[in-house]
Amino acid sequence: MIKRIFPRIFTVSLLLAVPVVVSLHAGLSEDFASANANLASGHADEALSTYKTLLTYPEFKTSGSAEIWYNRGLAEMQTGDAVAASLSFRRALLLDPALAPARMELAKTLGSLGIPVPTGWRERTMQSIHPETLIVTGAVIGWIGALGLIVLLFQASRKKELIMLPLILIFVGHGTSVLGTMADQRRTARHQAVLTAKEAVTLRATPADSATESGTIEPGTLISILSRNGAWWYVSTGTRSGALQGWIPSNAATPLLSSSKGSS
Amino acid sequence: MAVAVLLLTGWLLPLRLNAADVSVSAELSRPQISQGEMAELQIKVSGAQQADVPQQIQADGLQIRLTGQSTQFQMVNFKVSSSVVYSYIVMPLRTGSFIIPGASITADGRQFRTPELSFKVDDAKAQSVDPSAGPPQSSQGIQPPGIPMPGFQQQRARPAQQRPDEGHLAFGEINCTKKTLYAGEMTPVEIRYYFDARYPVQVRGRVDFGCEGILVERFPDPKQTREDRDGITYNVLTFHSLLSAVKPGSLDVAPAKLDCEIEMPGALPPGFDDPVFRQLMGGQAGLSQQKQVTVKTSGLHLEVLPLPKEGRPESFAGAVGQFDIDSIVSNPHPTAGDPANLVVKIGGRGNFKGMGAPVLTQSEGWRSYPPSDKFDSSDELSYTGVKSFDFTLIAQQPQKESPGCEFSYFDPITAKYVSLTSTPLPLVASPGGPSPAVSGAATSSPTPIPSSGQKLAKNAPLKEGQPLSGITLRSWTTPMQRSEFLIATLAMLVATAALAGILAYWKIQSQGGTIASRRRKHIAELRSLLTGGTVDAGSSYEAALEYAKLVLPPSEKRDALISGLTERRDLLKYGSGGLLPLPAIEHRKLLESLELTTTKAP
Repeated sequence: MIKRIFPRIFTVSLLLAVPVVVSLHAGLSEDFASANANLASGHADEALSTYKTLLTYPEFKTSGSAEIWYNRGLAEMQTGDAVAASLSFRRALLLDPALAPARMELAKTLGSLGIPVPTGWRERTMQSIHPETLIVTGAVIGWIGALGLIVLLFQASRKKELIMLPLILIFVGHGTSVLGTMADQRRTARHQAVLTAKEAVTLRATPADSATESGTIEPGTLISILSRNGAWWYVSTGTRSGALQGWIPSNAATPLLSSSKGSS
Repeated sequence: MAVAVLLLTGWLLPLRLNAADVSVSAELSRPQISQGEMAELQIKVSGAQQADVPQQIQADGLQIRLTGQSTQFQMVNFKVSSSVVYSYIVMPLRTGSFIIPGASITADGRQFRTPELSFKVDDAKAQSVDPSAGPPQSSQGIQPPGIPMPGFQQQRARPAQQRPDEGHLAFGEINCTKKTLYAGEMTPVEIRYYFDARYPVQVRGRVDFGCEGILVERFPDPKQTREDRDGITYNVLTFHSLLSAVKPGSLDVAPAKLDCEIEMPGALPPGFDDPVFRQLMGGQAGLSQQKQVTVKTSGLHLEVLPLPKEGRPESFAGAVGQFDIDSIVSNPHPTAGDPANLVVKIGGRGNFKGMGAPVLTQSEGWRSYPPSDKFDSSDELSYTGVKSFDFTLIAQQPQKESPGCEFSYFDPITAKYVSLTSTPLPLVASPGGPSPAVSGAATSSPTPIPSSGQKLAKNAPLKEGQPLSGITLRSWTTPMQRSEFLIATLAMLVATAALAGILAYWKIQSQGGTIASRRRKHIAELRSLLTGGTVDAGSSYEAALEYAKLVLPPSEKRDALISGLTERRDLLKYGSGGLLPLPAIEHRKLLESLELTTTKAP
């Protein structure tokens, strides 16, 4: 009885862990193809409008499509809005860090804006393997190790060699899972934003227009939101010692993850 | 926290200093003194914390005696060195020129010998009237007549005992060969920090250099040298790096700063500022103080020019410098349908990190993917080297040569864009079976192909700027932030606990149950045996005895009963009648004593 039930519980658990694929809206595919055709034929404005509409569909309430964000970025590039395009490419990469075209276009866009391309360990790791794969695979391996350890402890002889194997699986599996989570940029994206103002924004020492200036940030820069105070955000341009920090008006930047991703 | 780690490191580091190379040097505080003065000879043993040195050094006309020792630890950019300094007083017995012979030193199990040193003692009067006789402080060394130990005056004049000029204690210089550069151009920058060699220095932290608008590469470990300037010997830390500007305009880069701690001689307390006390302190700056110093270079002004728009090739992707191009095909004969690899190597010097990939030319009939890249640097700053771009190519029709390649860069020396091309290479490839992605591209009407994101990215015709087809839904949050993952984790925890419980239960059952259940079972068996009356008298008493021990609560009555039962059992066991059935009356009495009732009629 137990032997039959347990594998079922395990299987259901794994199925719950993988991303839930939602059935697509009936007209979504057609609209997307239409927007792509517009973009390919040089009608970027129409394509951009359709992409924006697509992103308001209920399918994208809790999920996103890297392809749509990438295509929207292309459309924005064609319409000359490099800053908005950089945000779209960043969102595409947030959803699918291995999407090479988005990485290339982001590099080009940032280059045109005079902003360095991010080249950290996270980016290098995520180009090779999706963090979701790392996290889920690691968790599965870790739990297999945990179950194996239980079985060995109760059923098999307690030989060291046998016990070590599940222990290794537990540490490696869950360690990989944690590593994947650390590398997953979605983890910190909630506190990040892209400066989408048309011109460079002045950082202020206090949340007031008359406050002392402490530097400027170029449009397209990825910033971390450290604190919020009404219509002002206290932001940082990075984690390094030379990073700039200061207050900016919140309308000068767009969160990397906004509640209405399609509209911004 | 970082400071704590540094301090801890500072305490622990002596443990690993034994591995350091040992060197011995000798230095005179002054090579020339006047008669009546004294000089100090310091023998420095670096890389060891203890050494055997002579108490006296024999030299004709001089008296050289050991006065003390001190140990110094220096940490320069996290590289720690230790040294022990032995101080000798050199007291001249007459005027003239002397050679101080080398001293034999044993350190770290090895023998060393200090070099010979020249030493001169002038007549005091001649010295005092000679205006060119040494630096200004030597005037302090002129002794008034009648002072019995004039050498102590020299101690006051020793640099280590003076309050040094802090402007010359440490300073920095910055050297950037180019003051006018183009956006994206990388230029070497050298930062040098000078520390007066007489004072131990501990560097705290890293070089703080940069400002908005420039990018500075990480500083590799500095080079440490010695340099004399204005008669002062300095330890020099030289940092090399590269900087590049990201936006055009005038840039004023703030000075490069380095925090450090310099051990300086401190003022002796009132009443102790005495030559004798100093001598008792071993001739060293016995009372020293740590001075926190931020060493700064001068600022740097840069003029950053924008990259010209005129003549910018379409294949330009941000490379600035001087480069050349080479290409190879790693597998010139792939089997049908298999990909071929075209490796384009861009070598030279410039901003390798910021450069984009070359552009394929003559790529009709090929499906290509964005290249992977690898950079092999030939210097520690990644300024020169070779960057390889590996293009994966799949033939869509029979091919006899690879695509060509074009790479453009901006040469800041000639201020012109340069386009490099590589010609197609021999390559025999043919397509495999029909591909849906190819057919989609051929009709130029993108058809959505629902598939996984990774698969889509690789299947899509990735011509630059072409929209992707197919939609894959992915979550905006990591699995660990999603409820389904948490539910699955909880389910696994419950499943693991359930599995452990079930296995434990099975194990207990296989061992006959728990101790309590085994006890209950045994009591029931005894009770059945006793009330059944089917066993012989000896066994009945044996069972009764065990039952009494297990069931009856501790009391005097129980003890008496057990004693009686034991006696009767022994009588039956070792006497006669043990194998006969128990008489009915005795059986009843036995059950009554055990507070049991019979289940079988006697």
